[in-house]
Amino acid sequence: MTQAVSRQRPGSLRLRLLAGTLVWIAVSIILAGWGLGDLFRSHVQAQFQAELTTHLDQLTAQLTLTDDGRVQLAQPLSDPRLERPYSGLYWQVDTLDAADPRPGVLRSRSLWDHVLAAPAASPVDGEIHRQRIAGPEGKGLGVIERSVRIDDPGGGPARRLRLVVAADESLMEGPVSRFRGVLWLALGGLGAGLVVAALVQVFVGLAPLRSLRVALGKVRSGDTQRLEGAFPAEITPLIDEFNSVLAHKAEVVERARTQAGNLAHALKTPLSVLANAAHAAPPDDPLAPLVIDQVAAARRQVDYHLSRARAAATARLPGARCPLGPVVDGLVRTMQRIHAERRLSLVVAPMDGVPDFRGETQDLQEMLGNLLDNACKWAGERVEVRARADGAELSVTIDDDGAGLAPAQRAAVLQRGVRADEQVPGTGLGLAIVDDLARLYGGSVCLDASPLGGVRATLTLPAVRRQES
Amino acid sequence: MRILVVEDEPTLQAQLATALTAASHAVDCAGNGVDGHYMGESGAYDAVVLDLGLPGLDGISVLRKWRAAGRNMPVLILTARDGWHEKVAGIDAGADDYLTKPFHMEELLARLRALIRRAGGHASAELACGPLVVDTRNGRATVDGQALSLTGHEYRVLAYLIHHRDEVISRADLVEHIYAQDFDRDSNTVEVFIARLRKKLPPGLIETVRGLGYRLTTPP
Repeated sequence: MTQAVSRQRPGSLRLRLLAGTLVWIAVSIILAGWGLGDLFRSHVQAQFQAELTTHLDQLTAQLTLTDDGRVQLAQPLSDPRLERPYSGLYWQVDTLDAADPRPGVLRSRSLWDHVLAAPAASPVDGEIHRQRIAGPEGKGLGVIERSVRIDDPGGGPARRLRLVVAADESLMEGPVSRFRGVLWLALGGLGAGLVVAALVQVFVGLAPLRSLRVALGKVRSGDTQRLEGAFPAEITPLIDEFNSVLAHKAEVVERARTQAGNLAHALKTPLSVLANAAHAAPPDDPLAPLVIDQVAAARRQVDYHLSRARAAATARLPGARCPLGPVVDGLVRTMQRIHAERRLSLVVAPMDGVPDFRGETQDLQEMLGNLLDNACKWAGERVEVRARADGAELSVTIDDDGAGLAPAQRAAVLQRGVRADEQVPGTGLGLAIVDDLARLYGGSVCLDASPLGGVRATLTLPAVRRQES
Repeated sequence: MRILVVEDEPTLQAQLATALTAASHAVDCAGNGVDGHYMGESGAYDAVVLDLGLPGLDGISVLRKWRAAGRNMPVLILTARDGWHEKVAGIDAGADDYLTKPFHMEELLARLRALIRRAGGHASAELACGPLVVDTRNGRATVDGQALSLTGHEYRVLAYLIHHRDEVISRADLVEHIYAQDFDRDSNTVEVFIARLRKKLPPGLIETVRGLGYRLTTPP
C-alpha cells in the first residue's frame, strides 16, 4: 500500500522543497538584476548630465562678442573630444535675434560641417533645457541648451544667443550595457551557486528520511525487529513511537498465544475428565454416548478456533522471519520419536541456500508439523522432505510412499466440511489448519500424487532472502 | 509395571490412577511439579505420564531435570496445548511420546504399553519366552496357548520379568516395580508371588540366581 503510494509520487517532499527554493532564487535574482541595473543607469545618467552642464557652463563663460558683433570664444574649451570630428561630444552657438535667427554661428570642431538642429523653442534666459535630438550620422544625442543675452560692446542692441552642448548617448549607454552584462553574469553565477546549495541542502537534509526508509525495509524483510540507527531529533519521537508500536504488537501476539494456550488447557482438562468419566460409565448409561459425542465435538471446535485465533494474531507481524532448517530438524526428531513404532525413514534433503520463511516460527512449525505428521501416518516406510527457493517464495514438498489419495479426495481433505465430519481424532483438522495458515501468509498448500507412490504435499510460503553475513 | 502419574487436576489424576491400576500397573501420583520431579528422580518407574501444565515446576522443566540426572524411563507427555512447537519442545526435552487432551484412556494405555515395550527393546506387544506368551495389550498370559489365571500382583511380577527377559532381577527391584510407593512393602511377599508363579509355569522358566535375584529365561 505504502509502496504503491511512494511509487506514484517519487520524492515528492524533495521536489516540493526544491521547487520552492528554485522559484525563490529566480525571483530574487531577477529583481536584483533589474534594480541594480536601473540604479547604475540613473547614476551614469546623472554623471552624463553633470558633465554636459560643466561643458555648458564653460562655454557660457568663454563666450564673448567681438567689437564687430561676431560671436567668439575667449579660449577654446578644454575637452579634446571637442576637437576630434564626430567624437560624440559637441557644442554649438545659435543666434536668436528676432530679425535674423541663425543656427550654428559657432560650432565645435567635432561637429565638422554638421549643424545641430535644436528645436526652435524660445526658452527663458538662463534656464537649462534638456532634450534628445538626432545628431551627425543619425546617432541619438543628449542635448542641454541655455539661452543667454549678451550686451554688445559696440553699443548695439543686446544679442540673444542659444548655447547647445550635446553628447552621443552611446557614451552613456556603453558603460550601462557593459555593467548590465557583468551584472547578469555575476547574478547568474550566484543563482547557479544557490541552486547547487539548495540541492545539497535538500539531499543532506532529507538523508535521515532515506535511512528511515532503509530501516523500515529491513523491518519489513525481517532483518531487524525494530527501527535501528541514529536519527535527528525531529524524527526520533516518530521512531520511538513506531518501535514501541512494534514491541507492543509483538507483545500482544505473545499474550494472545499464551492466552490461547491457557484457554486450551483450561478447557481441555475438564473435557478429558468428562470423556474419561463417560467411557468409564456402565454400558447401559444413556448419558455416556451423549457426553462422548459432545466432548469430541467440543474438542474439535476448540482446536479449530484456537489455532485460527492464534494464526490470525500473528500472520501480519512485521519483521518476523525464521530459518527452515532447525524447524524441520526439530519436527523430524519429534516424528521419529512419536512414530517410532512405524520404523519410518525420514529423509531431509540438504537445506543449504534455502531462504528463510517470512513469518513466525510457531506458525511454520504448525504447518510443517501437520503435513509431516500426516505423511508419517500414511507412509509405508519412507517420507522425504525437500525445500527450495521459488522466486520470492520458498516451497517445501513432503512425499510419502503410502497408498495416496484419489484426485477427488485431495481437494476434499482441504475443505472444512469434510473435516468437521471426521470422526477419527487428530486427523482432518490438521490439513485445514495448514491451509488456513498458508493462506494467511499469502501462500498455499496443495496435494498431488507423489513419485514415491503416496501423497506429495507442496507448501508454498513467502521467503526472506538470507543475508550473506 | 510401576507408573508415575504427574497431573494436577485431581479428578483426571484419579481417573488415570484407576485406569492404570485396572491395567495391572502399580501407580503413584503427584499433584505438582516439585513432588513429581522428586518422585521421578528417587523412585524406580517403568513409565511416567507427565502433564505439562503443572503448578510449582512445569512439566518440561521436570522432564529436563530427570534427563539431566540420567533418569531414562519412558515419559508420555499429556498436554492441552496442541501446537507443534509444544510437541517439539517436549520431545527435545526428552519425552518419548505425547498425547493431547482430551484423550481416550485406551489410547493412553496403548501408548504406555508401547513405550514400556520399546524401552525393553521389544518390537511386539506379545512378549514370549519359550512356551510362555504374555500379551501386554490385555494382560493375559498363556503357556502353549493355555491361558493362565493370575492375580494382579502375580501378573505384575511376570510382566516385569518378561520385559527384562534373560536379565537378573533383584528382589528389591521387583518390589520397586510392582508396588506403588505408599503400599506396605514386604520383600517376603515377592518370594510368595514367585513361588505361586513357578507352580503355574513350566518348570525351569523362572531361575533363582543365588544371592542376586531371579531370571526369566528359556529352559536349556
